[in-house]
Amino acid sequence: MAGKPMLKPKTKSAVGDFLFVVPALALLLCFTYYPICKLVEISFTDWNLLSDDFTYVGFKNCKWLFVGGGAKYLWNSLKVTFLYSLGELAVTIVGGMLFALLFNRMSRSFGMMRAFVFMPKYVAMSSAAVIFLWMLNTEYGVVNYLLKLIHLTPVDWLNQKSTALLSVLMLTGWRVIGYGMMIYISAMAGISKDYYEAASLDGASSSQQFFRITLPLLSPTTLFLLVTTFLSSMKVFQSVDILTEGGPSRATEVFVYLIYRYAMVDFRMDRAATAAVMFFVILLVITIATMRVSNNNITYDS
Amino acid sequence: MKKEPQVESGRAIGGSKVWRVVQPILAVIVTVIMLFPIYWMIVTSFKSAEEAQLLIPTLFPKSFHPENYLYVLGRANFLKYYWNTIVMTAGILFLQVGTGVLAAYGFAKGTFKGRSAMFYVVLGALMIPLQVTFIPLYMLCAKWNLTDTFLGLILPEAVSAYYIFMMRNTFMSIDNSYIDAGKIDGLGRLGTIWYVLMPMSKATLFTVTLVTFTNGWNSYFWPKIIAKNEVRRVLTVGLAQLKNTFAGQAVSNYHQIMAGAVLTILPVIILFLIFQKYMMTGYSKSAMK
Repeated sequence: MAGKPMLKPKTKSAVGDFLFVVPALALLLCFTYYPICKLVEISFTDWNLLSDDFTYVGFKNCKWLFVGGGAKYLWNSLKVTFLYSLGELAVTIVGGMLFALLFNRMSRSFGMMRAFVFMPKYVAMSSAAVIFLWMLNTEYGVVNYLLKLIHLTPVDWLNQKSTALLSVLMLTGWRVIGYGMMIYISAMAGISKDYYEAASLDGASSSQQFFRITLPLLSPTTLFLLVTTFLSSMKVFQSVDILTEGGPSRATEVFVYLIYRYAMVDFRMDRAATAAVMFFVILLVITIATMRVSNNNITYDS
Repeated sequence: MKKEPQVESGRAIGGSKVWRVVQPILAVIVTVIMLFPIYWMIVTSFKSAEEAQLLIPTLFPKSFHPENYLYVLGRANFLKYYWNTIVMTAGILFLQVGTGVLAAYGFAKGTFKGRSAMFYVVLGALMIPLQVTFIPLYMLCAKWNLTDTFLGLILPEAVSAYYIFMMRNTFMSIDNSYIDAGKIDGLGRLGTIWYVLMPMSKATLFTVTLVTFTNGWNSYFWPKIIAKNEVRRVLTVGLAQLKNTFAGQAVSNYHQIMAGAVLTILPVIILFLIFQKYMMTGYSKSAMK
């Protein structure tokens, strides 16, 4: 990462070099940094889409969101987002690891199967979501048909509180499990064969080899998946929007959906902005916290 | 984490010989299950409305109805959405690659004051997703009359911190002696990028650009907010809309919705099947850095 030492000082070219980063920086300032500042400002106003002018109201929105009428929705959406994140983490890490062990054979047919398992990641979420909408359809869905075949009662997957979030997670799981698998497989390929040979000579069983060699050596990979998946799972929106629209009775209202609803359905930009600021702070705290952890992360390999 | 024994117990029972037989069988079964949703989408898209709603679903259409696709392209306006998506994706691709490669050069090989501080501005942007900033962005675009326009769809996605970051790392790994050699041959900065740096980082460039393309094509959140009107609606949003059109009706139109789903993913899946090697490493590459 460290830059190469500059051999020759190139003072006159400094301005010319600078020009190359100007377009990107200008666009970032305009479409990322300016909006985040503006967002904070809106969160202190009473602005809604229906009126043009606004006044500053201090922490009124904050109060409403945390202890007023909005509190129960806020905590609900935090809880739902957290549960969803746990689910996505479990599928990516545990499921990805299991798939990696299953598909970790170097042959052409296994390579093809790996590609097929990975492919859902590239299926647009819109398409994936309507496919699951169809498969989970209460009357004509193929999932309920299969349940009936083995004499189980059909489930109203998307319209009852107990299974709605699970349905969203099934869709997510289908799309991300191949990704977890690929990350683990490429990490496994980097583990030296010597460890396993030495272990077999010492008479270690394959399960011992897995728990004593593979798993510990993969811990940086697991940590990486944990951090990145956790952060991206916090931002979930589209699957919820298409499958359940946050329902039934807010059982799947994740945080971004809450912000979206305040802004684009209720037209309360002030409240939406306040929630968005809070969301940003949460993301920031998680990022900083995980960066701390990754810096102290344990690696057993040389 | 305690389910691994599924694999290991195979070995524990009969040594790795049993596992060598069981593994391919299990792998095929899992692959079939993973592919089933895609198969089900394609099959349903060719069924008639009546056949799609049989209480005992047919695994293969009894009669083919390609007119589902014609309906979606024509009456449901997917041709228009296709055009919108193509223009949006092309715009995003062009701008992200352009600004990304230039900035990556500046940050990797340039020498100017405050270079690392400015790079932190780029890295910081990674932490500010559209899901946070969409409200002020929407206001900004509304003020500039960019709602329901291509510019409105494209501009907020015109630069990607991720792209800059990846390309900068790649450019940095290229030794300066190549650049100096190019200078002797009379290459300016743009020439250096075009003739030296870009060819030497072809693989990464291609992979990251493919990721940019698919992200653009599949994007949903921002297009849904900024282009509600049909004139600039993109495929992903149009598809979700297709579902809403029939919501609440006794007769559902899933055979048509599935045709729309196929049309939406077709270009990306074709790309994936051709370039799967690149597209699968694309993610692990970004993972390993």
